[in-house]
Amino acid sequence: MRRDLVCAALGLALAVAYYAAADALPRSLLADGVGADGVPKLLAVALAVLSVVIGARSVVAGASAASAGSEDPGLLRHLRALGVAALGAAFVGLAPVLGYPLALALLLLAAALYYGAAPRLQVVLYAGGTAAILWLVFARALGVAMPAGFFG
Amino acid sequence: MPELALAWKALATSWAIPAAFLGVAWGIVGGALPGISPSIAMALLLPFTYGMDPVAAIVMLASVYVGAEYGGSIPAILIRTPGTNAAAATVLDGFEMHRQGRGGEALGISLVSGLVGGLFGLAVLVVATGPLARFALAFTPPAYFALGVLGLSVIAGLSGRSLLKGLLAGILGFMIATIGTDPVSGVARFTFGSPDLLGGIRPIVVMVGLFALTELMVQVIEPAWAKADARSARLKLPDWAMWKRLFRPQAIGAAIGTFEGVTPGAGGTIAAFLSYNEARRWSKHPEEFGKGSVEGVAAPECANNVVTGTALVPLLGLGIPGSNSAAILLGGFLLHGLAPGPMLFEKSPEVVYGLYAGLLVANVAMLALGLVILTPCLWLVNRPKPYLMAFILALVVSGIYAMEASLFDVGLVLGAGVLGYALRFFGIPQLPLVLGVVLGFMVESNYRRALVLSSGDHSIFVQDPISLGLLVAAAAIAVFSLRREVGGARREKAVSP
Repeated sequence: MRRDLVCAALGLALAVAYYAAADALPRSLLADGVGADGVPKLLAVALAVLSVVIGARSVVAGASAASAGSEDPGLLRHLRALGVAALGAAFVGLAPVLGYPLALALLLLAAALYYGAAPRLQVVLYAGGTAAILWLVFARALGVAMPAGFFG
Repeated sequence: MPELALAWKALATSWAIPAAFLGVAWGIVGGALPGISPSIAMALLLPFTYGMDPVAAIVMLASVYVGAEYGGSIPAILIRTPGTNAAAATVLDGFEMHRQGRGGEALGISLVSGLVGGLFGLAVLVVATGPLARFALAFTPPAYFALGVLGLSVIAGLSGRSLLKGLLAGILGFMIATIGTDPVSGVARFTFGSPDLLGGIRPIVVMVGLFALTELMVQVIEPAWAKADARSARLKLPDWAMWKRLFRPQAIGAAIGTFEGVTPGAGGTIAAFLSYNEARRWSKHPEEFGKGSVEGVAAPECANNVVTGTALVPLLGLGIPGSNSAAILLGGFLLHGLAPGPMLFEKSPEVVYGLYAGLLVANVAMLALGLVILTPCLWLVNRPKPYLMAFILALVVSGIYAMEASLFDVGLVLGAGVLGYALRFFGIPQLPLVLGVVLGFMVESNYRRALVLSSGDHSIFVQDPISLGLLVAAAAIAVFSLRREVGGARREKAVSP
């Protein structure tokens, strides 16, 4: 129940911010009757209404079912899941500096350890070998201009 | 038969045949890995199709779908862990057969039932899609707007337990679709000054993030899966007597798979469980179900492979994806500048008929590869999970970067992954969001074009007979779903103490 309330609050906040951003859009001389902001404003209102209904339903259900709502399995588990995205973000930041092969090898190494691999030489060899294979596939076979970093 | 000639030409002049084999092989491997659904296996391959010939690319993606549905049954039978959602029904009797030392027989039944289902689904696809697309050729901007609304109305069927949350997801997807240059006035919307966002956020980026990255995030907090024992997994194809026994459950699977496949939101999982249930009801040996029944393996495996063909009917005929895998295939079409729907038959018939022929090749490839790929699959399933997950993460970031040589796109995928994880946390279904992203532009641009044509008169949407019909159909679906939602809530209230 609390989860639905948080969902409703976030939805409402997003609706308000999105409406404000749509309202701030410049008016073009080429605009039609609806305008660039017409549909977005409609979406913002719909999102707000849905969020309010979800929130209201959650409050009503919460009042009748007291604390029957499911407990959150734990913040640490969610943070651990978000850590995968953080690894990806680190790759985005490092690739232009270190270059694709090295940044990818580091990503593979960090990800394997993060998923629970024992810190052994085998993991380092795996990361280096896999990065080399993927670099060969993308940069050589497919001809994609991967980030060169300081090697370039 | 000009269509046959087109199909043959498409196969002969492109790399569609090797693409079908490669797609099926990747699909079987992907499907065999728990946590990698058919749509994720397709999403991982999507960036690699970027530079390919469109026919070969679409055939390869559709072949992944075909292969993954068989691949999902391998861990379901051998380690009691369905590789795909649809293979969950196969666990019931498949794993029992394996425990009795009949794992190879179960795998053989799964393979041939998948082949029968795949070919039947392809026949339905070929027969049903053409007439649907020919009807849709008469569409005008108001009708296209109404078609988009009809597409959005199927969100109700894709919403799982909560229609409200499904609608919320659809609106979020629509909001993502409004990012970029306005289709009529050219004003930059919600780009925050970033030139990378002027072209909008491509559906493929959202799909890969929602499906693949979200799953990678979930897998890091899930326990490792069990090891498969390769010794009792020697594949054994059914003999003639067994074929005769399998006819009835396969026919049930084919019928249910057809209905569930063309119904948006239903999909292979529901088809598999319904088929299992009906096969037990109509069986001469219902007492064997749950204790290692061959019919209990054949019916769901046939049904979920029928769906690989029939789920493409609304996609090819109307441009509406009714399942995750169809949505990814739609992403493949868009990536190659092709818009599924009625105009595809007019503008690029070689792609449509090439896809039909490619699916036929894919089903044959599934049989051929199914006989030889089991050992490598088992080897892969038994690799340490951390290495597999790290490899998939590396593949996602590399593949997405390679499409436009853009690290910005990689960042967007990560953002979509976090969004997908948040959606799961709040119990919000993902597919309605994808529908919003895909159909948002179509709905808005045709709505505004129609109003420009009518000088702002909204009655144009009810004066056009096709538009009126589609809007009535959309309203009917919405009302039906609302009634189901209200009825479901009342039932839940009645049973709660």
